[in-house]
Amino acid sequence: MKVLRAVAFAACLTIVLTPPAADAQILPSEPFSFAGGRVTIGGDVSATFGELDPGWFDYTDYQHSALRMLRIDVSTAVNAGAHVTLLAQVRTENLGMLRPYGLYARLRPWAKRNVDINVGRVPPTFGAFSRRTYANDNPLIGYPLAYQYLTTMRPDAVPANAAELLDRRSSGWRVRYTLGNQQPDRGVPLVTAFRYDTGVQVHAETARLRGTAAVTTGTVANPLFHDDNSGQQIAARVEARPVAGLILGASGARGPFVGATAARGAVGDGHDREFTQTAWGGDVEYSRGHYLLRSETVVSDWRLPIVRPPLLDLPLRAVSTSIEGRYKIAPGLYAAARVDHLGFSEITGTPAQGTLPWDAPVTRVEIGGGFSIVHNLLAKISIQRNTRDGGRAKRRDTLAAGQLAFWF
Amino acid sequence: MTIRTVISFVSFVSVASLVFEPRASLQGPRTASIRGHVELRRVVSAAERRPGVAELGTPADRDRPDLRRSVVYLESAPRGAFETNEGGRAVMDQRNETFVPHVLAITTGMTVDFPNSDRFYHNVFSLSKTQRFDLGRYAAGRSKSVQFDRAGIVRVFCDIHSHMNAFILVFSHPFYAMTDADGRYRIERVPAGIYNVVAWNEGTLSDPKSVTVHDGAITELDFSLR
Repeated sequence: MKVLRAVAFAACLTIVLTPPAADAQILPSEPFSFAGGRVTIGGDVSATFGELDPGWFDYTDYQHSALRMLRIDVSTAVNAGAHVTLLAQVRTENLGMLRPYGLYARLRPWAKRNVDINVGRVPPTFGAFSRRTYANDNPLIGYPLAYQYLTTMRPDAVPANAAELLDRRSSGWRVRYTLGNQQPDRGVPLVTAFRYDTGVQVHAETARLRGTAAVTTGTVANPLFHDDNSGQQIAARVEARPVAGLILGASGARGPFVGATAARGAVGDGHDREFTQTAWGGDVEYSRGHYLLRSETVVSDWRLPIVRPPLLDLPLRAVSTSIEGRYKIAPGLYAAARVDHLGFSEITGTPAQGTLPWDAPVTRVEIGGGFSIVHNLLAKISIQRNTRDGGRAKRRDTLAAGQLAFWF
Repeated sequence: MTIRTVISFVSFVSVASLVFEPRASLQGPRTASIRGHVELRRVVSAAERRPGVAELGTPADRDRPDLRRSVVYLESAPRGAFETNEGGRAVMDQRNETFVPHVLAITTGMTVDFPNSDRFYHNVFSLSKTQRFDLGRYAAGRSKSVQFDRAGIVRVFCDIHSHMNAFILVFSHPFYAMTDADGRYRIERVPAGIYNVVAWNEGTLSDPKSVTVHDGAITELDFSLR
């Protein structure tokens, strides 16, 4: 029944938006360009409708689910000569406020060397999925858990002890702690797919090797525009392309995670730079013919203030691994699947709680497919099975969704 | 591409196989030529790359497709034209993130090779009603091919590089010609008769022009596309 509803939604959207003839493109098919190609404007629109998600598996904050989202991105590139390009992207979700998502200057000091310096609100350095979150880059509808699932970790509020952290398992969509900001709010994913970094980034590449390093505010889980703990994150990524179709990537990032107010509330002044998030990532992509395979692992270690017993066993580690594949069945038609697991290190709480992962482990299996109505209009359906091992929230849920993605 | 363009071309394709010009025949010993010039009175620019806001670095330079080439063809063909289909091959290269040539005119039954001359993957595909195909991803030095058995317009794209696109115009008769860099064309071996001739450029069609072709003569016919 859920699948039927998702199919019906995708079919309705398709009928509404499909041009009368597949060759007769009514919608724009390529970016608008002005000033002899110096200014280009592109767009990405995705409309997603899925089941209610009582287990909060797909929420990106308390109000937004990735399975019920109208997302509109407008991107602009202004080429201001051989050495400077200005890039910007604004985004609205569910027709809410228009937000500047990316806004930076790309400087190329040597016109003939592949070295760029990005300054401003720059694309994420860490990971592989973080720069392909657009609907047309994602063969399925859900996001990998590492980039979307809300853990119980908060940068502005911390648990007083292990018992309090264990007590909050599975409530990352709306969690509250006794130290720091005591208002309930969402936790963070391991790496957010929904915000760009702010800072300076250097990128260099050759035919087979690419490297990027950045100094930004916040951390990969909580990128910030204004720093809240006087500490900068350092992130780096190396990507090798030894043969066509094979991409091997490794990433690392480290920065102060806990905000100054929360750190002060827990252990007093002067310690906020000690409570860090350190993340490591490895990813591989291989494609050939009609196959595309991807796998990514993200490991995140958090160090939080230790206040009172039962003590937190630091670092608090989360490990996520996803494997996804896409196969093109026929022109314009593909099938895809992703298997994803998010696990957490164990800590010991009260005798009644015992030793448990500090948040409830989650496994997601998602299968689906897409059909291209025209080359830049894609209808997708998917069904995902979520399983959570523990916590108070609903532990299992099967969610179907349909999505229409359009880009130019 | 406008709806009118598609409808016009599809009409041509479907009607051409049924409506023969009664006063013309391929059997006659003497044939003629139609030649002329296609003037482009509009500015056509190649598709730009999408703004790569999520990219970490500046994308590499790429070639620009030649959009000045037009195709001129007979809207209806002489009797017997459809019996001369002999297959053959044509090449549409993928070079420096550009299809070369950007426009290819072929007859039904021909096979088009799509070699990849870049260091990285390309993925040629088309969702056109005339011919749907997806060649998958393949690396430098490799080539895949498609045989085109139906007349019509085939819009070709790369699944990896969204700014790459090209046209293949598939005719059910041999009476067509591509313009050169100066816009000049010449359709050879046209039997004497009265024909409607059309010019096409980047999805825009001219109004059909009626022309009378005499045995052994060269008929001049110019077009202007806005």
